[in-house]
Amino acid sequence: MRQASHLRGAAILGLWAGALMLYLSTVGIVLAFAERNTVTGVLTLGRVMLAVPPLAVGYVAARRIHAVGGPGSRLIGGTLAGAVGGGLLAIGLIIASAVDIREILVRVSSGLIDFVGFGQGAAIGAFLNIAFGAVLGLTGAALHAAPPRFRRPIVAGALGVVVMSMLEPFLRPRLQEFELGFLSRLLYESRGLSIASALVVFGIVAGAVVAWRPTRATVRRRLGAAGPEAQSTVRWASILVLILLLLSLPQLAGPLLSQVLVLVGLYVLLGLGLNIVVGYAGLLDLGYVAFYAVGSYLTALLTSPTSSLGWALPFWVALPIVVVGAAATGLFIGAPVLRLRGDYLAIVTLGFGEIARILFLSDALKPWFGGTQGILSVAPIFGVSAVDVPLLGWRLTGPTLTYYPLLLFCIVAAFVASRLKYSRTGRAWNAMREDEDVAEATGISTVNYKLLAFALGASVGCLGGAVFSTHLQSVFPGSFNILVSITVLAIVILGGMGSIPGVVVGALALIGLPELLREFAEFKLLVYGAVLVIMMLLRPEGLIPDYVRRRELHDEGTDPIAGTGAVGLPAGGGGAS
Amino acid sequence: MARAGRLSLVEIILWGLRIAVVIGVVAGTWATLSAGRLEGDQWRTLVILGIAQGSVYALIALGYTLVYGVLLMINFAHGDVFMFGAMTAFFVADALAGGGFLNANPFLGLAVVLLVAMLSSTLVAVLLERIAYRPLRRAPRLVPLITAVGASLFISNSVRGLYGEQVKAYPRLDILEGSLDILGIPILKTQAMVIVSAVVLMLILYWFVERTRTGRAMRAVSEDKDTAALMGINVDRTITTTFAIGGLLAGAAGVLYALVFGQVHWFMGFLPGIKAFTAAVLGGIGNIVGAMLGGLSLGVLEQVGPNLLLSGAGVPSPNQLRDVVAFSVLVLVLIFRPYGILGRPETR
Repeated sequence: MRQASHLRGAAILGLWAGALMLYLSTVGIVLAFAERNTVTGVLTLGRVMLAVPPLAVGYVAARRIHAVGGPGSRLIGGTLAGAVGGGLLAIGLIIASAVDIREILVRVSSGLIDFVGFGQGAAIGAFLNIAFGAVLGLTGAALHAAPPRFRRPIVAGALGVVVMSMLEPFLRPRLQEFELGFLSRLLYESRGLSIASALVVFGIVAGAVVAWRPTRATVRRRLGAAGPEAQSTVRWASILVLILLLLSLPQLAGPLLSQVLVLVGLYVLLGLGLNIVVGYAGLLDLGYVAFYAVGSYLTALLTSPTSSLGWALPFWVALPIVVVGAAATGLFIGAPVLRLRGDYLAIVTLGFGEIARILFLSDALKPWFGGTQGILSVAPIFGVSAVDVPLLGWRLTGPTLTYYPLLLFCIVAAFVASRLKYSRTGRAWNAMREDEDVAEATGISTVNYKLLAFALGASVGCLGGAVFSTHLQSVFPGSFNILVSITVLAIVILGGMGSIPGVVVGALALIGLPELLREFAEFKLLVYGAVLVIMMLLRPEGLIPDYVRRRELHDEGTDPIAGTGAVGLPAGGGGAS
Repeated sequence: MARAGRLSLVEIILWGLRIAVVIGVVAGTWATLSAGRLEGDQWRTLVILGIAQGSVYALIALGYTLVYGVLLMINFAHGDVFMFGAMTAFFVADALAGGGFLNANPFLGLAVVLLVAMLSSTLVAVLLERIAYRPLRRAPRLVPLITAVGASLFISNSVRGLYGEQVKAYPRLDILEGSLDILGIPILKTQAMVIVSAVVLMLILYWFVERTRTGRAMRAVSEDKDTAALMGINVDRTITTTFAIGGLLAGAAGVLYALVFGQVHWFMGFLPGIKAFTAAVLGGIGNIVGAMLGGLSLGVLEQVGPNLLLSGAGVPSPNQLRDVVAFSVLVLVLIFRPYGILGRPETR
């Protein structure tokens, strides 16, 4: 009786996995990555994506059964879940090869059918899918059955192989440039890891994970035993190393990756600004792009000789004006709307964001903002297009040049944000976020503090806009749509509302990763949407939670993870990202 | 004292805004009318188009209002529920039109297309509630809103991946070509059809909510979930029903929208979604009659507004700014009368 209900539960999990695999295939993600080798000749990234759902449900099924069943029933449950998942995909495969559904589901091409069916035709392909599903489910269940001592290194090693293979397009040219071409030839074989190097990478990562725990314990003990002076020395030394690393990053990364770094930096800056508004003050701003746009356009107006003002100020002279103008915009927009309740505020800010975009785009304001043509020839950040660094012999242009002021802005914004967090202001925001009425009753002027948060967020957003326009040396209204606001929101949510390191991690994951995986660009927004939903369902405090925020979210909601229905979708994002 | 001073600063800004809006509206209207830019016929055409478009907004707005009524949440993804119905029904409409069935049996064909759209929108709406919103019912208020924003992005981009990103032209029906003459006013047949269908659906909805048992359960849940549960109402099922009804109406709205504009694409849910939300707020969110009124008035405002207010002021291509009018209505209503035309001020 009980056995049967476990198996039914496992089968339902398997159906979720199968639905997810069908979704990933029909939405086009699988085929987009079908060409990218993970281990050349053995595994492509598309296959990895199809493998993750059955693996995951095998693990989950085993975990569910774990509470009541023995190891045997765990393995059976996992296998069943994986096989059901594979079976659903197999059914899809048979249907797709029998009937041409390409008219409706445009991605179901013969290429996809070939790929999913292992190039073996429908019947054999379907059988293979069920078999692989079962094996993967069994593997997932076995992973759960294995003690964590083994599980951690295996999972980390597998992840290491996937990440190393994804880094190929960037690592290979860089290695060659640093005269390490032999290393890249050792590692990679026709755009993926060779079998041998995959094993080596797996071994190294797994070994590192095994070795890491005792080492960390030793380091902690030693540090704890050392005096406070030694501790502070270690801290300063690590900060120094970090700064040196950050400063030399563009040189190590090369111009291509530097462009990615600049993008990531821009979004870190925007994220830090939105973090003050959303994370600290708890005001959901869906029109944050408006400030970004105002910053860009103000900079362009002030610094471009061809703009309607034609003042052609140097960037650093224009900057203070831009920031003050931005703060004023924040106050102006904020003042009327801040008395609104949270969800209405979100929609009003969204309205403002769209109004700003349409106005910048419109013919009506063309004499000022240039309509669809935007504003051209914005001043470069130091007035020149290239800077030579004397002693090091570095020549900074384009992204490698923009990187440094951007880094400075990010550090300043992060510093200000972190100092504000535990200041009187930060505590007031905190109180306001948790309960506005109580905060008001304890003498906090919520309107003033909201305005302050809005103005600060606006200034940081404008700073981002200023860097953006000076980096591109032009502004176009097309750059400022609602999706920017939602992207920044996704960054803040992923990292954790109110968490500064979270913003950096969020920007790296949501901006950096899609840039590394070119095929991914098309599905970026899909993944952002999934990230927002999944984070809210499973981990509303974010990946790197802010301590206070975490307690708040887990005390208020009784149990945010309740409900079995939540399982299917989250696993989806896991597979997609 | 200082605090009172600050507050009055905000008040000053608000009053300034009020005065600016009134002056803008009066001056723009006067300038346009005195310049006589548009003929009476043209105004009438604009108003009728506005009513047709507004009735589509009203149908979508009903979904926002119903959900807001029971859950107090803004279902930001509702615009994409609307889009999904229109997109899915496109394939049916296309297949029917290809065989000549649609023009041979226009009423049956259209009914089938509508049914498919309504069912597929309902499916998405119910799944959305089950997977994304139900686990968050007791979470802080912003959490479900962020989820809804994410879900909106997820649904629209899934459709982009599944059905492709090109714009799809909806088949045209011969029976809807040309115009009718009602009381001496020519109305395009498509627009007449859209208005009539929307009104019929709204009447059915009104009857359903006011007269049936399920409707009474919905009203009870929106008054007080806990008490409703104590009275033996299955709250979960009632909420699912509410989402389903919202989905049905959105699906129908999708087809009507496609008939008016003749095309559908994956991003078509965003603007009508926001505007329908505006309509819901304008009429008083949570209020069914309000959503209908709000939709119609927003549709008309949007068509007439730019021409009436802006063209007289010498603004070039005022119709580019149509969305600005809609968004300004949204912002102004939320600032000055967040409980809408028919709503009551909420205590909190």
